[in-house]
Amino acid sequence: MIPHRHDAAALDRRGVAWGLVGVAVTLAITFIGSDGLLWFDAALIGYLFGIIFMVFGVIYRYSVWVRRPSTAMLNRRGWDAFRQRKAHNAAALPSLVATQLLAQGFIRRRSRARWLAHQLVFWGCILAGLITFPLTMGLLHFESVGQQGDRYQVFVSRVGTMSFDADSVLGWTIYHGLDIAAVLVLAGVFIFLRRRLRDPGALAVERSGDFLALAGLFAVAVTGLFLTVSSIWLEGRFYAALNTLHALTVILGLMYIPFGKLFHIFQRPGNLGVAYYKRANAEGPAAVCRRCGDEFASVQQVADLQAILPQLGFDYDAADGAGSYQDTCPKCRRAQLALAQSARVGGFG
Amino acid sequence: MRADVRYGIDDSPVFVIDQSRCIGCEACVQACMECGTHRGQSLIHLERIDRAATTQTAPMVCMHCEDPTCAQVCPADAIKQTEGGIVQSALKPRCIGCSNCVLACPFGVPKYMAEIDQMMKCDMCTDRTSEGLKPMCASVCPSEALWYGTIDEVRENRTGSLLRDFMFGRQEVRTKVYTVVDDLAAGPIDVMRGQAASWLDDPFELESGGT
Repeated sequence: MIPHRHDAAALDRRGVAWGLVGVAVTLAITFIGSDGLLWFDAALIGYLFGIIFMVFGVIYRYSVWVRRPSTAMLNRRGWDAFRQRKAHNAAALPSLVATQLLAQGFIRRRSRARWLAHQLVFWGCILAGLITFPLTMGLLHFESVGQQGDRYQVFVSRVGTMSFDADSVLGWTIYHGLDIAAVLVLAGVFIFLRRRLRDPGALAVERSGDFLALAGLFAVAVTGLFLTVSSIWLEGRFYAALNTLHALTVILGLMYIPFGKLFHIFQRPGNLGVAYYKRANAEGPAAVCRRCGDEFASVQQVADLQAILPQLGFDYDAADGAGSYQDTCPKCRRAQLALAQSARVGGFG
Repeated sequence: MRADVRYGIDDSPVFVIDQSRCIGCEACVQACMECGTHRGQSLIHLERIDRAATTQTAPMVCMHCEDPTCAQVCPADAIKQTEGGIVQSALKPRCIGCSNCVLACPFGVPKYMAEIDQMMKCDMCTDRTSEGLKPMCASVCPSEALWYGTIDEVRENRTGSLLRDFMFGRQEVRTKVYTVVDDLAAGPIDVMRGQAASWLDDPFELESGGT
């Protein structure tokens, strides 16, 4: 297995501290946003526990991850590159977010089915999060308008916003927002499952987390839909049990986020930093291969790597002290290896 | 050697690369595309060593380092190693396309695919080797420059000694994949030093004026 460069067993103090700050901020938002817990629904306390655990876990892991030598370097360089041309880069940000993080065209170029599945799961989860998190934290509630009970107003904390008729299309959509999210997620999960179960290549490189993430999303979506089924078609039968089951799947799902495959949600935005880093490097000087003299990368990235490698315990400097092997382009590395190997068997042929 | 041999766990087959045997037929390049984990993409490298001087080529697959530099320099922690020592292609949800691995790998193996903004590399045909089959490239290589089999088969069928230690400057790297040398006692292959070119383009030294 890949050796860890740091003591993996010890709890990271800085990670714990940042995690606790995150928990405190979440609790403060809940307290203030729910108007001193006035609009906090005590029935959702289990969900709040799940959110708090998730916040702590995600911040803890992020804090540890972002301080790995290579991650820290890229994080620093990404921000450096952003600040170099702040106005220009800020203007480019919406388009980068739209293409890289939201539209995810890089997945579409890999496979349309995968892209469709990911988009369905992605937007389903976003929709579910936008509804569940504010509801759980008491930031969002509904009040009836007048005495008829057929018209409701949406309140964000204390602020009244739009109102709608309960029987209108908008009303139906709002009440069934989580059902819509569940259908989107389920559709995506089935496409992913189909591929995972039928593609021998995907099965071969399967990691336990791949199925677990899909199983978790499936469980949350299906148990959530059962609640609607119970209230609409079963006259509320089994609701209490289904409600507990759904809460359990959601809470376990939230607790899984920091540890499992879904943590990529928080790592992926690093791709924006890479985009800025690459753009800045493309405008800078190019590194020249010590063997063939061709340009093969940016001076900046090669220098950054050579700064990281000793921190990771690697020493690619030439034995005679004349430069570094890392100044060789990948093509010449392959050629050099072939020459060195052939020399040990009496030449080619 | 038959291509459809199926090895069991106890056979402990090994991958052997002997670049000096390459005849440049490109069968491996085509076969690599058939690998189930990256269908349609050939991830093997077939290098023309010195195009001006010779037609000599050499293949390069992932050597699956015991302590992979590519994984250590990956900022997204996207490159994982299986319990069997296979260094896998970047995890797709994690890889952020920075190319650190491409630039750091001492063997020059990972490829950055700009189209999908991802790194991809040889994973020793995990779909096949996990079921005891030979990797695609080794199953088609006619000169056995790329070879897969048991240690007993090595002894029976191949010359030379197996070695899996390399020096890159001061950095020693041990790999899962073996290479072949005649002189095991000489130690690891020193990649920055061993540069003697010996082509077979002119085996009787007619063009170079030999007698």
